[in-house]
Formats: sequence, structure tokens, C-alpha cells
Amino acid sequence: MANTITQIIESAAAVAKGMSVTFKEMMSPTVTENYPDEPPKFEERYRGAHVLQRDENGMEKCVACFLCAAACPANCIYIEAAENTDLVRISGGERYAKVYNIDYNRCIFCGYCVEACPTDAITHGHGFELASYNTSTLVYRKEDMLAPIPPGARPPVIASSGTAANGH
Amino acid sequence: MAELVSLTIDGRTVQVPPGTLVIDAAKKIGVEVPAFCYYEGLSLQAACRMCLVEVEKMPKLMAGCTLPVAEGMVVRTETPTIAKARKSTLEFLLTNHPLDCPVCDKGGECELQDMVFRYGAGESRYTEIKHHVDEKQWSPVVYFDAPRCILCYRCVRICDEGMGVGALGVINRGVVSEIAPNKTDHLECDECGMCIDICPVGALTSGAYRYKTRPWEMQHVGTICTHCSNGCKTTLGVRNNEIMRGDNRDQSGVNGEFLCIKGRYAFDFYHHQERLQSPLVRKNGKLEPVSWKEALEAAAARLKAARDAGSKIGVIGSTRTSNEENFYLQKFARLGLGTNHIDHHRTGDVVTLLDALSGQKDALATTADLYEKPAIVVLGADLALEHPLLSFQIRANFRHHQARVYAVTEKPVREDKYAAAAIRCDAAGELAALETLREKLANEPELVIVFGDTVKGDAVRKLVAFGSSLGKPVKYVALVDYSNSRGAMDMGLVPELLPGYRPSGQTGMSAGEMVASGDLDMLYIVGANPLEGGQPLGGKPFVIVHEMFLTETAQAADIVFPASSAYEKNGTVTSVTGEVQQLKKAVQAMGTKPDLEILGLLVREMGLAAQIGPWTPDKVFQEIRETVPGYNMPLPVIATGGAVQTAPVNGRIEVDARPDLVRSSRDGLFTSGTLGRYSKVLNSVVEGRHHT
Amino acid sequence: MTKLYNEPSPLETRVLTKRFGLPNSASLDTYLATDGYVAIRKAIEMTQDDVINEVKASNLRGRGGAGFPTGMKWGFVPRSSPKPKYIVVNADESEPGTCKDRLLMEYDPHQLIEGMMIAGRAVDAKAGYIYIRGEYRYLIDIMDKAIAEAYQRGYLGKNLFGSDFSFDCYTHTGAGAYECGEESALLESLEGKRGVPRIRPPFPAVVGAWQCPTILNNVETFCAVPPIIRDGGAAFAALGVPKAGGTRLTCLSGHLNKPGVYELALGFPLDKMINEVGGGIPNGRKLKAFIPGGSSCPILTAAECEGLTMDYDSMANAKTMLGSGGVVVMDDTTDMVKVALRIMRFYAHESCGWCIPCREGTAWLRKILTRFVDGMGTKQDINLIGDLAHNMLGRTFCPLGDAAALPTISIVEKFRDEFEAYLARTTVSIPVQSDLPVLQPGM
Repeated sequence: MANTITQIIESAAAVAKGMSVTFKEMMSPTVTENYPDEPPKFEERYRGAHVLQRDENGMEKCVACFLCAAACPANCIYIEAAENTDLVRISGGERYAKVYNIDYNRCIFCGYCVEACPTDAITHGHGFELASYNTSTLVYRKEDMLAPIPPGARPPVIASSGTAANGH
Repeated sequence: MAELVSLTIDGRTVQVPPGTLVIDAAKKIGVEVPAFCYYEGLSLQAACRMCLVEVEKMPKLMAGCTLPVAEGMVVRTETPTIAKARKSTLEFLLTNHPLDCPVCDKGGECELQDMVFRYGAGESRYTEIKHHVDEKQWSPVVYFDAPRCILCYRCVRICDEGMGVGALGVINRGVVSEIAPNKTDHLECDECGMCIDICPVGALTSGAYRYKTRPWEMQHVGTICTHCSNGCKTTLGVRNNEIMRGDNRDQSGVNGEFLCIKGRYAFDFYHHQERLQSPLVRKNGKLEPVSWKEALEAAAARLKAARDAGSKIGVIGSTRTSNEENFYLQKFARLGLGTNHIDHHRTGDVVTLLDALSGQKDALATTADLYEKPAIVVLGADLALEHPLLSFQIRANFRHHQARVYAVTEKPVREDKYAAAAIRCDAAGELAALETLREKLANEPELVIVFGDTVKGDAVRKLVAFGSSLGKPVKYVALVDYSNSRGAMDMGLVPELLPGYRPSGQTGMSAGEMVASGDLDMLYIVGANPLEGGQPLGGKPFVIVHEMFLTETAQAADIVFPASSAYEKNGTVTSVTGEVQQLKKAVQAMGTKPDLEILGLLVREMGLAAQIGPWTPDKVFQEIRETVPGYNMPLPVIATGGAVQTAPVNGRIEVDARPDLVRSSRDGLFTSGTLGRYSKVLNSVVEGRHHT
Repeated sequence: MTKLYNEPSPLETRVLTKRFGLPNSASLDTYLATDGYVAIRKAIEMTQDDVINEVKASNLRGRGGAGFPTGMKWGFVPRSSPKPKYIVVNADESEPGTCKDRLLMEYDPHQLIEGMMIAGRAVDAKAGYIYIRGEYRYLIDIMDKAIAEAYQRGYLGKNLFGSDFSFDCYTHTGAGAYECGEESALLESLEGKRGVPRIRPPFPAVVGAWQCPTILNNVETFCAVPPIIRDGGAAFAALGVPKAGGTRLTCLSGHLNKPGVYELALGFPLDKMINEVGGGIPNGRKLKAFIPGGSSCPILTAAECEGLTMDYDSMANAKTMLGSGGVVVMDDTTDMVKVALRIMRFYAHESCGWCIPCREGTAWLRKILTRFVDGMGTKQDINLIGDLAHNMLGRTFCPLGDAAALPTISIVEKFRDEFEAYLARTTVSIPVQSDLPVLQPGM
């Protein structure tokens, strides 16, 4: 008999203990995110899809030094460089990236490219919705990654190569 | 030889000849003393102060690049004091250096970067304004960014001493000193780019390469330049099947540090927009692109029919295709097509020379001989323009070994400046003029005679007789024009001779006769442009051409096969001095095939494969080694990028090989036969000259 | 022409300057009337070794600045060499504070010519070149006139004085570069090339002008030779101190009542030189700093000047140099930071640009010092100035780098408090635009 009573008390205690946890959690703020109904929240240093930055004048920061490509352990960055001219001026340096591709099939988001960049041109953004049914869409081109021209910035001087500027 | 001096460098004893510099003595035992301005072979500068070393019993640090060794000297090259001195020198250097490494073309292979990485400070104490000068363009191929310059004067010295041009100097003084060209704002020089190559930093950059890629992004393919006959090794920097630049990265070729404008820049014809990328067949009087299958079938059918009908077939070979291709072509012509009308553009009388030298040993000079032998005779050629490497070698020989140089030429030449004797004569008078030098030449212990196309036939025999009469060892170089002119001759691309100068026992038409002939039924031309200048064919033969571009000859053809350039195939070529070197495939031009492959496919199509043999370069080269005298050279040397001189014959060549047909195109620095037309760089330099 | 720039002092020992002040002192007649061209006749009678030994006996040391024994230098010339030998006079007097050679050429050009001839006689040289500083344009006219006169009267040319000795003399002008006062740069310039120094050894005595053996000495050195041969080396030696004979033309400048060029015997007391020869410091102010021989020497403080005499060893003991004879006296109103800047401006402007430490170091120091004087210095700058100067010292291709480093080091070490006082100045709140010209190409 005594044994049965003990069992009841112990069960009740266990339920109370369990419920205490439940009630405590009910009071605390929720951590579950309602993605995709609500946008997810990120830590500041989250390493998402890359963003190619522009400077305050709207020029691309990337000078096509290839250091990101050299640092990349997955070998997923492909660059073709070209020289800025009076007619076509894309970046602040003498050279700019004519082609800048990142193959997100291979990227492991290690951030080495960001660390290698001498001009802070490539950064990790918070973009993460990269999934695709077609892997060929995972090669991002420069246009897919470039930051918008900051408001108020003078847009870079881009003339068509046919215009005769100053005789070059 | 004088007694050796022994000294201690970093605790290791080394013995070197007296007068050796400490920096060289250190190099001998594998100790690298860092330096910017010191460059082996150039005059001493002692300006960069990086090579400072500690020498016992000397009160201050000594410049290793100007300090001659002394018996019992104790040298230390790496001590905390030295490291501190180098650090401070680098700190000084970096004060006005722009530190734009991320955009600088030199970044990654910059000697200043290396040095700063090794000795330099992580942070700069320089907080003042940097001295800035805008970048200048000196020529289509040379740009100068003064702030990057560390004033090591290497460019000034290589241009003056190495090239004999002296196009560069220094203006201003102190911290605003600047390298400047002779014509204030532009260069009038060989445009060889040696100054760019030798620049330890990114101050001098190449107009053809700048801002295109970075050094570590390229694969480096060492191959042989396809332009002149000097056989310079050019290392092509290749990225994504595109040649980015040519240089002499490892300096392992016969040319050492040398390259001229053609070797460095004129690879660019390979992606000229007019490059043929598909076979063409004439349909209704017009050349139409067709598939390889269709073109090969058409060509094979025509050739087979012509051969079976006993028609007259002419074959003209190339002076730029590989030995394998030339060998295979003559085999195809003689065995497959049963014709002995086979020829090429002969540019130097090698045959008579070899015949005249019969019985003599070691009578053919190598490129190295021009640098080492105590006396050089230049006969009827402007080497500086036509054979830049040979000219460079002779200049270096004069500079380093005080060689006596004798120039016997029609017009003034660059060799005059330092020649022991410079004699002017008319085009046929070289030998008479040479006779006046007999006494001087007889006093030379050894001699190398370099002669151009005006000395041919009997004149060559007389020249050799003259050389023999001196009673001294004499070596010869018969100058030829293109990268494999010599190989074409060695491989028997002439009617009279089989490979290795064995008489063919048959007669045949020369190239000129084939073009002019009225009764030729078929003409098969590989990589040659006999119709250059627009003269028409004498008759109405069916013409098959292998070409890279739609040249005058290709335009007259019925079938055109798009051929690969020398940078797009493997094989071997033989230089003007008879040195055999390997071509290495650097890129693939879409739609083209190497001539050897085209011939092979045609042979297969014609059902002759068993008769003519396999057509891969290594198999054909093996056959050459087995059958052509003088070509049985050690494979490892060739395969590792070395050069071996061939001695194809040592005995009489029984037949007369038509020395009257020898005619050089006399290409200068900025032309290269038909090929030169398609090089943007060469054209831009020539155009630049016309404008100024 | 005969008017002197300054009154002579009774304390002088006038050997080289004995004709200064005579009427028409530059003329050949005056020269002949005062023992002129006596020494060369004597030298022609002597053997070559005797001439060199006489110079050795005089204890004459080079007057250009380095103080190398002249007789020894002449002895290095390989007389048996089949190459022609040359005499070159370094009249590229550019050391700040030095102005003696111009007087020797202006007042007594024939003494220089005779000195060259004796040197020519000693080493078998047939030709001499006088490389005159570009800014001394008027001296070229004087020298050319004197040379023409000598040719006309048979004192230059072939078979002189009935002997087989021949000598030709030419003037050559520099284009205004301090660097060309360095002997090998001078030779490059003389040959028509860019005035940058050569690698030494070989020294000019063996491989000099046009790759031939060359005697290259300062104007004053050559001018001392005729008196030595005429009166004997021992007499000349006796004028000076044991290891250095003769007199020095000392150029007194700075804060003095009677600045000027005075010929003083070697070993002359420094104190006496300032206070008696130079007439003391104006307005009774006190000595603060002292440059013994041109701006390249380490600067001495007043305390360090105590008991010094003007000779090589005494100066070496005080860790400075006798240099070129350009004495600069600075009183206690002098701003030593500005002195440092003034000196560095000179060297940055005159650096030839050949080697890295000097080219970049002088320019960097000039920028720091300019900033300092403009009131934008920092505490770290003081150490940096000293450190950079030390990094230049002994590491440059030619002595110009040392010449820039030595005074800078001495100023920073000895007058550090003045630099610190600059930092404490609050009056300069707005950076003053320096009126110093910025070094530009072509300047």
C-alpha cells in the first residue's frame, strides 16, 4: 500500500517537474523563426552569398587582382581582367574585372576570398536562398553579385567604345 | 689559369678565381645575396645597397656586388645587422613606391615584393606625401610607371650594353630622378621588351600583357619562337586556352635572357580574326567552308586520281613547320604521290657549306660559340635586324670576352660600333673585302664566320677555302630566314636531296618553276606563300593548301586546310645554327589541325597509312632519329627543352643543289614573312614609326 | 680686381695667399715678380721621385675635405703605365660654408697653373683640366685669361723652359651639381656623362679620367705645391702640426664680426680663431654650435669646442672633421631645427639619385623636418629623424649620404631639447605653409 502511495507521489512530482519546464519555456521569448513566412534573422557576420561592393562614387571596388581566386580552396572564382580606359572606367584602380563568376556549386563559404581581398571588394552578404533544380544557374555572374550604386553617387563614366573621347 | 682564392662565406669555404665578386662567389655555394641592381653580365651599379654583407676586419657593411674576393676573407651574408640594413633600405625604397600591388602586373613575381616579404617591415613609418608622376606610354609595347621604379638602372644597362641600342637614360636627379627614353617621350629602339623583362618591379610594363591576368594564373609553356631562324625559347603564359604573354621565364633556352619583339609579342597572330578555322573547298568558283571529312575526302580523291593518272604533282613545303611535318611531307610526296617536284623557299646556302666542309670536324658554330669564340666575322648580313639573337650573342661576347668582331657588309651595321674592323663592300664583293683582313684574321686563335645569302655556291667554297688557309680552327654559320628553314633542308624538301643530304638521284622542279609551270596538274602547298606579291600561277593546277590565313596562295587554292601554328603543336625545329629543339603545344586554335595530322588523315584517307607510316610527332621523330644522319640525338636532352646541334652530313654531297635559288627575304625586326602581317603588335610598332 | 673681400688678419700665416691684395695679383707679371714659376723650373731639374718625396715631406693633406696625404696619392700613379696621365683640379667648390678656392683662382690663378704643372711633372702628365663649378662662371674667364697669358709667354705648351717637359691646361665647367665635387662623379662629368660617382676602387690615381691614371686634387692642394717645391717640404711642414703641414684657408662665416677667408696655420686654436681672427660673436652673444669644415661635418656644441685646435687629429678626437675649411659659427639665437632643415634641404636637392638610401633618405628627412618646422612634428619624429640618418650612414654609394647623415645625427643628439621645444609650442596651431620651394623636375 505504502508502495502505491509512494508511486503516486513520485508520479505527481515528475509531472510537476516536467510541467514546470513547459511553463517556464512558455514564458520565455520564442527562438523559432517563421521562415519562409517571415524573413530569417542573421548574425552580423553570417557568411552568405557574396556581394561585390562599390565605393562611394559608385565605382566597383574590385580591381581584378585575382587574390580571391588564388585563396579559394574550392577554386570556384573565375575572373577575367581588363584595363580601365578613359572611355570605359569601371573600377577605381587601373584594372577591373570584366568577368567575375562564382560557382556556388563548389563554394564552401569559408570566407577566405573576403579575407584575401585587398580592396574590401568582395564580402559575404546574407543571401542564402541559393538552391536550384538546375546547377547551371548556380554560376553567379558579376551582375548577380554587384551592390547597387549608392544613392547620390556619380555613376561611373561608361561611354560606348565607338564614341571618340580624347583621341586614344 | 691563376690560382684560386679561398674565402669563407657563411662558414663555408669556397674557392674562386681572383677578381670574382663576393656575390658571385656566394652564388657558387648556393648562397643568394639579394640585390636589385646587380645583374649578371651587365656592368656593375652598386646602387641598390641590398647586397650589403659583413666582412671581418672591415669597419662597415660592404656591397657584395662590387667587392672582389680576397684570400682568407670571412664573409657573412645573413646577420641581424645585415637584416636591419636591408630592412632600412627597403623602407627607403617603399617611401615613394605606390604599393599598388593588387593592380600591378608584376605582383606575384616582383623582386621588391619578395624582398619586402623577406626583410621588410610590416608597417611603414612614412607618413609624408608620396612623389607621384603619371604613367607614360613610350611605344605600343612599352609603358612606364615612374613611381614604381626603384632606379636600379637595369633597363638602361640592358638597352645600352645588351642590345647596343642605348634608348634609355636618366633625367633629373635626387628623388625625382626618372628613367626616360632617348626621344624624350617615345622610344626609337628595337622594341625588344628586354627592359620590361629585366625590370625587377612593375615600372616597365608590356603593352600587350598589361592588366590582363596575374602571373600565378598562367601555365607556362616553353616552346620555340616561330618567327626567325635563331631558335629562341619563348615561354608562353597560357590561361584558358589563350596566350597571355611570351617571355623567357626560366632563361633555359639557347637565347638565355634574350628575346626580341617577335619572340616576346608576335605570338598574337594566332588569334587574329582572319585565322582560318574550317577547311575550305572551292565550289562554283568560291571557297566555301566545309567539314573536315568533306575536305579530306575531296583532297584524297583528287590526289589519288592524279597519282594514278601519272599526272604532274608539285609539292611546296614550309620553312616554319616542324621537322616531323617536313619529313612526313617529303615521304608523302615521294612515296605516296610518286613525285620528286618538291621544294621550299631556300634562304641560305647550307648545302654548299656542308659539302665544302666535308671531312672537317666541329666546323659548324653553335649559338654559344658566338658568345665564346675570340673572333667573329659577320659577312653580308645586318644581324641586329635580321638575326637579333646572334647579334646579341656577339655583343655579349665583345662585352665579356673582348672578342674581335669584323663586319664586312654592304650597309653600316650595329656591329660597326665595337668592331675591330668594319668594311663596306657591294653585295658580291664580300670575299674580296674579306681578303683585306687576312692578316688580322690569321692572327686570331679561333674564328667564327657568319654569312648571309649573298654568299652562295662557289662563293661559299671560296670562303671555306679562305678559312682553311688561315690554318686556325674556323666555324661557320650559314644564315637562313625562318624557324625551320634549316630543318626543311635537312629533311630533304628539295628535289635533289633526300633527308640527311643523300642524293635523290632524280630531278624535279623548284618552287619557282612549279608556280610558273604551265603543265602542272596539281600543286600541294604546306604553309608557304609562293604567290606572295600577287603573281599568278603559270598554269591551272588543282591547288591544295595548308594555311593559317587566307594568303594570296590560299586564295588561289581549291582546297584549303586550316593549319595549326607552331604554338599549337608538338614537334622539333632546327635553328640557323643547326640546333634541334622541341616545340610544345601551348594552345588549341578552334578548328585547326597540325600539318602533320592533316597529312596523316589524308594518307589514311588515301589508304597509304601502312606505306607512309604513323603520324604522331614522337613516332615520326623516332623515324627521323633512326634514318636521318645527325638526328640521332639524345632524347632526354630534347624532351627536357634542351638543344642539340645536328651534324647531318660529313662527306661530299654529290649533287648540285641549285645555290642560285637561295634568296633571303631579309625580314627586319618588325616583319616576319606572311606571318608578320597578322601580328597586331608588329603592325602597331610599324605604324607608330610612320606617324612620327 | 685687387680689392679683397675681407681685411687680412695679422694672425694669418700667408703662404698661399701672399699675393692677395697686390695690384693686378692675377696677372702673370705680378706672379713672376713674386717668385712665380720658380718652383716648376726647380721641379724640372729634380727627379720625379724627388718631387713626390718633397710633397710627402711637406705633410700636405688634401684640402678638399677628406684630408688624404697628397704625396701618397701622387705616389699611387703608375708612372710606367703606357696610358697618358692627367691632372684634374677639383674646383667644384660647393660645400656649404666654403668659399676659398674661388679666391685662390680669382687672385692668383697662376699659382694653381704652376701647381698643376708640378704635379704633371711628377707623374708624367701632359695635360691638366680645371673643373670649375658651374656657378663660378666669372672664374672661368679669369682662368682662361691666365692660361692664355701663360701660353703666350711660353709658360704652357711644348718643351717648357728649354726642357722636354710639355704641359697643356684646359678649363671645364660643371653644370651646377654638388655631387660633381666627388672625385669620380667629377670625372664622369668631365668626360661628358651624367655626374654620378663611379665604383671605387679603382681610384682615380690608377683609373681616372678616360680610364687613365689621374691626379685629382682640390684647388688649394695644388696651390700649396709651388711654395712646397720652392721653399722645401720641411719648411711647409713646419708651419703646421706634426701630422699635417702648412696652412689652411679657413672660411669664417655665420655669427661673427669679421667673417672672411683667412689663411691660418694648421693647429690654430679654435677659440682664438673665433674671437680674434673672426672678431668674436656680435652683440656679445654666446657660441651655441660650430661647424668646423662645411655642412657635412658633425656639428659641435660650444662645450665641445673647448680647447680644440684647427687640425685633423684634434677634430677627429672631437668626433668631427676638419673638412673643407668652411667654418660656420652659430650663436645662441640659432634655431637648430631650422639648421637641420636647411642642411637637409641642401642635400635632398643635391642628391644625385644614384643609390637608394641617399636618394630616398634625404628626401624623406627633408619632408619630416619641413613638417617639424611647420609645427606638425610628433614625438616619434625625433627618433625617426635620428634613426633614418643612422640608416643612411655608411650605406650609401658615395660620401654624400654620410655628409647628409652626420650633421643630422649630431643635431638630433646634441640639440634634442630644441626639437622637443618645437613640440611644446602651441602658437603654431594652424600649419604654416612652408615657403620652401618644392623639389621639381628641372630644378
